[in-house]
Amino acid sequence: MAAVSQSFKTDLLGSIPSLRAFAVSLTQNADKADDLVQETLVKAWDKHESFEPGTNLKAWLFTILRNEFYSQMRKRGREVQDSDGIMTARLAVHPAQHGQLDLKDFRSALEQLPEDQREAIILIGASGFSYEEAAEICGCAVGTIKSRVSRARTRLQEILKISGDDEFGPDAISAQVTGSNAA
Amino acid sequence: MTKDNTAGAANRRRAASGDPLGPNSEIGRKLKQYYDELVSDNVPDRFAQLLSQLEQAQPARKKD
Repeated sequence: MAAVSQSFKTDLLGSIPSLRAFAVSLTQNADKADDLVQETLVKAWDKHESFEPGTNLKAWLFTILRNEFYSQMRKRGREVQDSDGIMTARLAVHPAQHGQLDLKDFRSALEQLPEDQREAIILIGASGFSYEEAAEICGCAVGTIKSRVSRARTRLQEILKISGDDEFGPDAISAQVTGSNAA
Repeated sequence: MTKDNTAGAANRRRAASGDPLGPNSEIGRKLKQYYDELVSDNVPDRFAQLLSQLEQAQPARKKD
């Protein structure tokens, strides 16, 4: 087994913030997320030789983390997230007013999504992966990712009572800019 | 290595194409705000320590 290169170690360290963000998005729990990241780093270290230098390390690591997450869920007999009880009670939907949507409400809404939809919309909408990369990470077809993202977005709009998302577009942005300058 | 470039390029593509999760979308903006907050969280020392331990435990380099 070849020694792990210094640059691989440095890149691993640099990936930790993204890995933690993705892990929290999947587990919805900071402690579980950090355990998952730890497992991911150990696995990545063990199989560093299977990483092809020059390819996307972040995508490779996200794949490992995701596989680890689902295999842990299967082992635990799929510990169901309490998205019907506590989370819903906590949500107490406040309709979005003129595009001013509370981050706490958004987080609660995200928690209510099924895992496959949540991870898809995170990978595409937040982590900056392409549909092709997300499909590879999730081991499914590009079309599947697209439909999951679309369903996730529709569901979030329903939960948050946002209609016609696009109407907030340029106006909301210029309003924010104006507001922050005036403040 | 490529993470920031990848994200930047993807965002630019989305901004240009009126993507439903692009910067003109309320959901898209909140999603990024949610995620950026997580990414900017301080990384606990345990991870740097873990990598140091892994480094010490790794087998010495052998000739193939």
